[in-house]
Amino acid sequence: MRLFGLETEYGITREDLATVDPVEESMELVRAHLTDTFERTWDYSGEDPREDARGFRAAHLQQDREEDEFAKLDAHRPFSFHEMKSDLVLPNGARFYNDHTHPEYSTPECRTLMDVIAHDRAGERIVQRAADRRNQTLGGPYVQLYKNNTDFHGHSYGCHDNYLVRRAVPFEQIVHGLLPFLASRQIIAGAGKVGLEAQEHGFTPGPYQLSQRADFMETELSVDTMHNRPILNTRDEPHADRNKYRRLHLIVGDANMCEYATALKIGTTRLMLDVIARGRAPSLELEDSVAAIRLISRDADLKQLVKRRSGGFLSGLDLQAECYEAAKQTLSGEDEETDWVLREWGETLALLAADRSRLVGRLDWVTKLWLLETFMREERIGWDDPWLASLDLEYHNVNPERGLFLGLEAEGKVVRITETDKVDAALSTGPTDTRGGIRGLCVRRFPDQIKSVQWERVQFSGGFLPRTLDMSDLFEPDAVSALVEVLNAADSPADAITRWNQRKVQS
Amino acid sequence: MNGLTTLERKERPFDPMPKPTSPGEEGGGPKRPDTGSPEKDSLMKRMKKVDPKQAERYRQRTGQ
Repeated sequence: MRLFGLETEYGITREDLATVDPVEESMELVRAHLTDTFERTWDYSGEDPREDARGFRAAHLQQDREEDEFAKLDAHRPFSFHEMKSDLVLPNGARFYNDHTHPEYSTPECRTLMDVIAHDRAGERIVQRAADRRNQTLGGPYVQLYKNNTDFHGHSYGCHDNYLVRRAVPFEQIVHGLLPFLASRQIIAGAGKVGLEAQEHGFTPGPYQLSQRADFMETELSVDTMHNRPILNTRDEPHADRNKYRRLHLIVGDANMCEYATALKIGTTRLMLDVIARGRAPSLELEDSVAAIRLISRDADLKQLVKRRSGGFLSGLDLQAECYEAAKQTLSGEDEETDWVLREWGETLALLAADRSRLVGRLDWVTKLWLLETFMREERIGWDDPWLASLDLEYHNVNPERGLFLGLEAEGKVVRITETDKVDAALSTGPTDTRGGIRGLCVRRFPDQIKSVQWERVQFSGGFLPRTLDMSDLFEPDAVSALVEVLNAADSPADAITRWNQRKVQS
Repeated sequence: MNGLTTLERKERPFDPMPKPTSPGEEGGGPKRPDTGSPEKDSLMKRMKKVDPKQAERYRQRTGQ
């Protein structure tokens, strides 16, 4: 069983305005994507972000004082919750909406790294296309979008990676095996950041660090996502059959521009989850994971040591090497993708130790550091120059005419994992082997008969026959293929659901 | 077909499952790009166009 996806909150600004309202701008951006008059109604009934995997339900979710004040103002806005969200379900099975103050693109569920990268890149193009349309209306290139995680003033927004895992694996086992891995994953998946921040405590210009999010990690475990952010989020919202599955919702990661870094971030995490499920995770428990993630982030030389609970010290590289060895011992030879991840993970760790310059164009923090150091030499400026934070921001601009990463990619100096035609295809169709593809197919096949959509089901309107397509346990590729066949042959949603239910009874 | 191996096949058509690389050698998998130096490239011009005050003006609300 293998399923993962990425949710990316984009930073949004208007360069023609002194003060920007991010709620309205995000709404307008999503609406600029609309190519038809309809809007898919997202079904929020499957969402309960207060349910905690540790076996309780939180009384409320925390947010910082500033957001408390904003919330009072938001309550008086002249539009409804649904209007504010402006939820869209796209023909590729993705969700594109206003996550309150940020446009968010959630990829459809994917089974392969190639698919998730193609859909992540398609997301960049879809949000930028919406910005282009919005700018056309505004009469100038005013709206700019950033695939990053900070505003350099103490406000962070996320790029969450999600994994389907079997509920039979005890959550404590996942926590024990994954925390040291996540505290150190930034050495391969960090997006790099100029300066230091803290929640609601502004920005200190200065040294470069590996991760955009490490400054905002405040605890090891929590159900919260906007305040008191955890390295391992405990939200128990499976979007699947709750008796069989969990959805591991990780908020610790940075938004990556490098495809290679995205592939390693998701690939290595998926491998670690397999290692943990088999009870083969190394015992690396840290004395203080929150201190460790910050210390590791703030040492670009990767020499910083962090303390183990059992005594002794390890570097971020040591922690990753231990995880890599466990994965290699446990999973080597399982399939081509697993072997690819193992090979590239091992090579990356070796290069980080020996010659990180060879990782320019593969890892974001290395690539950004290389760009900034070159620029600093050219302009004779130091790390305290505010220009560097602006360059850091512009690295993540998804406008191909401005973004520094996209400029580097256009010059052929970045490793590509996917190919342009796969990204083109991902703009309009979902993966062929997951329910994400089914969701997209429903949108394409029966656009006027959808009542509401969410991750695990599609509800169709009208008629007396069954109208809900339940996908809460639809994870085997053969079953997905069979349902594609049924949907393509059916005359109507009701016909499709009847045929599908009959087929399930027969098998 | 797994696209990752497609990439490798494209680069090394006779070795679909190349051996792991080590720091001292170029092997299979994605190749190191020819990074050169950005000074010679249009990218440096693009970097110089970035307003030094841009990050100072950039404000967002807390997300998730």
